[in-house]
Amino acid sequence: MSDTALPAAATTPPAAPAKEETPFRRFVRSFVEDRLALFGLALFLLIVLLAIAAPLIAPQNPYDLASVDVMDSRQPPGAVSGEGFTMWLGSDGVGRDLLSGILYGLRISLMVGAFSGILAATIGAAIGLIAAYNGGRTETIIMRLVDLQLSLPSVLVALILVAALGKGVDKIIIALVMVQWAYYARTVRGSALVERRKEYVEAAQSLGLSHARTVFRHILPNCLAPVIVIVTVQTAHAISLEATLSFLGVGLPQTEPSLGVLIANGFQYMLSGSYWISVFPGFALLMTIVSINLVGDRLRDVLNPRLEK
Amino acid sequence: MKTFSTNGLKALKLAILAAPVMTIAGLASAQELKIGLSAELSAMDPHYHNVSPNNMLARHIYEPLVGQDEKQTLKPLLAESWKAIDDTTWEFKLRQGVKFHDGTPFTADDVIATMQRAPNVPKSPSSFSAYVRGKEFTKVDDFTVRVKTAAPAPLVPTDLSTFGIIPAKCKDTTTEDFNLGKCTTGGTGAYKQAEYVAGDRVVLTPNENYWGGKEPWSKVTFRMITSAPTRVAALLAGDLDVIENVPTSDVARLKGDAKLNVASTVSNRVIYFHMDHFREVSPFIKGKDGSEIKNPLLNLKVRQALSMAINRPGIVDRIMEKEAIPAGQLLPDGFFGTSKKLKPVAFDLNGAKKLLAEAGYPNGFKMKLHGPTNRYLNDTKIIEAVAQMFSRLGIETEVETLPSANFFTRASQGGQGNVPEFSFILVGWGAGTGESSDSLKALLATFDPAKGMGATNRGRYSNKTFDAKLVEALRTVDDAKRDAALAEAMEISMNDVGLIPTHYQLNTWASRKGVKVQARTDEYTLATGIRKE
Repeated sequence: MSDTALPAAATTPPAAPAKEETPFRRFVRSFVEDRLALFGLALFLLIVLLAIAAPLIAPQNPYDLASVDVMDSRQPPGAVSGEGFTMWLGSDGVGRDLLSGILYGLRISLMVGAFSGILAATIGAAIGLIAAYNGGRTETIIMRLVDLQLSLPSVLVALILVAALGKGVDKIIIALVMVQWAYYARTVRGSALVERRKEYVEAAQSLGLSHARTVFRHILPNCLAPVIVIVTVQTAHAISLEATLSFLGVGLPQTEPSLGVLIANGFQYMLSGSYWISVFPGFALLMTIVSINLVGDRLRDVLNPRLEK
Repeated sequence: MKTFSTNGLKALKLAILAAPVMTIAGLASAQELKIGLSAELSAMDPHYHNVSPNNMLARHIYEPLVGQDEKQTLKPLLAESWKAIDDTTWEFKLRQGVKFHDGTPFTADDVIATMQRAPNVPKSPSSFSAYVRGKEFTKVDDFTVRVKTAAPAPLVPTDLSTFGIIPAKCKDTTTEDFNLGKCTTGGTGAYKQAEYVAGDRVVLTPNENYWGGKEPWSKVTFRMITSAPTRVAALLAGDLDVIENVPTSDVARLKGDAKLNVASTVSNRVIYFHMDHFREVSPFIKGKDGSEIKNPLLNLKVRQALSMAINRPGIVDRIMEKEAIPAGQLLPDGFFGTSKKLKPVAFDLNGAKKLLAEAGYPNGFKMKLHGPTNRYLNDTKIIEAVAQMFSRLGIETEVETLPSANFFTRASQGGQGNVPEFSFILVGWGAGTGESSDSLKALLATFDPAKGMGATNRGRYSNKTFDAKLVEALRTVDDAKRDAALAEAMEISMNDVGLIPTHYQLNTWASRKGVKVQARTDEYTLATGIRKE
């Protein structure tokens, strides 16, 4: 173990990384060049941290009905609850502390976004690769299916799916995956079609490697850059789609509110002056989506070979 | 060719005639009335669907024999008077000189035709048959009708106040043709049907020859705007003159607006929880460890504990924003057939915990509550608040809310063998007749659809003492005695916690200054009750 590691370290001259940086380092360097993207990344990490730490920092568990009291309802920001803690962002129509609601809501939003993004990317990329590699009838069928899927408005499809599947985080994720896989399939197929004709693929094939190995070990890594960009954009989209579904009343249950449910609950009070019930969760949702999009935009610039200096 | 030219000539004449009429309408445009409704109608056919929005709109065009005033007290309408000749026969004297919209005179034949049509409309989601069946209608002369029943039936006039009389000519008109305005004879009402766009609007024009006098509005447009904030915004923007069902969160603000009037009155609608009384093992109730347990709701002490754990003043104050009244029975005090002894159950968490322990559930159990969304004022918030209160009692409570249409089908017949599916539900009931027999019969009488009993008894509550008292009341013709018997039946069922009432809604209307709305207990928004100040 140490025998192999030591000579490797010894033979690498200390100056080498500066001259010949690794692709990853170059990627990091060009990413941080954009201050806005860096800000977005910092904000996103902060939001993730807050969401993970929610049970530790939230003054109330908003999912525990016994700890929420209707007598605390519609309190303005800064009011003190019946249990004695200060509700810095006020409370909603059933007495839920909004700060706690938002922190827990972020957990759901991020989880929904991440899971549906990763699942849709995996499924979509696999289908896209199969279409590009096999060609012929398989490709035609898959790509017409993709066209069909992309021609339908995603909110509508998700609405119908969730209405059929029922309420719950898992069902929302399933619906979002079914709405979003087509974007990945289309993109990966485009890249894979180009890659398939390249010499390294022919080399792999003439070495007698299996189809699966050729596709997943050789073609796939070369198609990943655009997928990473779409994952960020689609994650943001998934989060807002979940909020939309919850706002329309088909997403998550009332007693386990996501940001969309919190916004919907406050909508009724907008005209009557209790602005905070909708505005604060809306702001949290906005910040989450903006931060992801800032990161996604920069990733697109960095990973796009055509924009390279 | 000939017909074509005559038609052309007619059209020209019409245009010439219409020009001055339009100018007059233009001058009088201030007299147009625009009303925002909170629910959609399902048809313009007055007998298709027994549901408040339909009945309310039909009332403008097709008048019933017997009317109901703003407090739902009966008053003469197409029948000038009525009396019981003996225990099982009623005689109605019809108003003379009344004409339908096209000038056809109204007679007893129209009444007989209506009674044939009303209970038999195809595909009716909720039929008027309960009000007509078991009654034999005979024409004595052109302006006298007799109603014969098998048993004493004191509620015949009330029953006949629920649906409108159509002309005999339209007795075979289909629901679709009513929607298209093909019953051109029209009704006898103060307004005529001018336009109906499903899910969007209904336009009415005044009946110039109405027997009750001419209406002050040149045109009345009902717009169906189901989203409450949108309705309020449309009133504030001046697009509407009147809105119904003002959301509770906006009442205080609208009352403070100098450019608006707000009118409200107590409603005949009670919001209540119905529970599973008929299954040994209820599908949405489990032990704390998730195991199957015997349905605890069969135990009176558990039901009492649940009722006691609900903080009714808290719900009224914090969720309904004081636009409601805590409920102790099925109709507010003062309505016919209500008890003076029943008061809202007082909130007592410790007392409730004690009762639950005595019943053998010191550690509570798990229960899932179900309710509709956007059916009643603040419905999802109420169910969530009650879930909080039950959680404090030690019952692990979950909440599932469903879109109304879906909810009501499943709540009535979603279970195995078309029985009610859920264990504990939030629902509401408006007493269409304005007295308590309607509510008791529908919600608490032992389920027996053939006899029209317990039609909406979604908990399948069944209590022999109560049933006997109710049947006795329904056969008592003397008003004072019937009132007392109904009150007694109410007391039996409430003390047995057949269901758990929480509050009575207030019906609230808002209108721009210069327009005054008469608040009604039955939630109806009638143009005939809207006047200039």
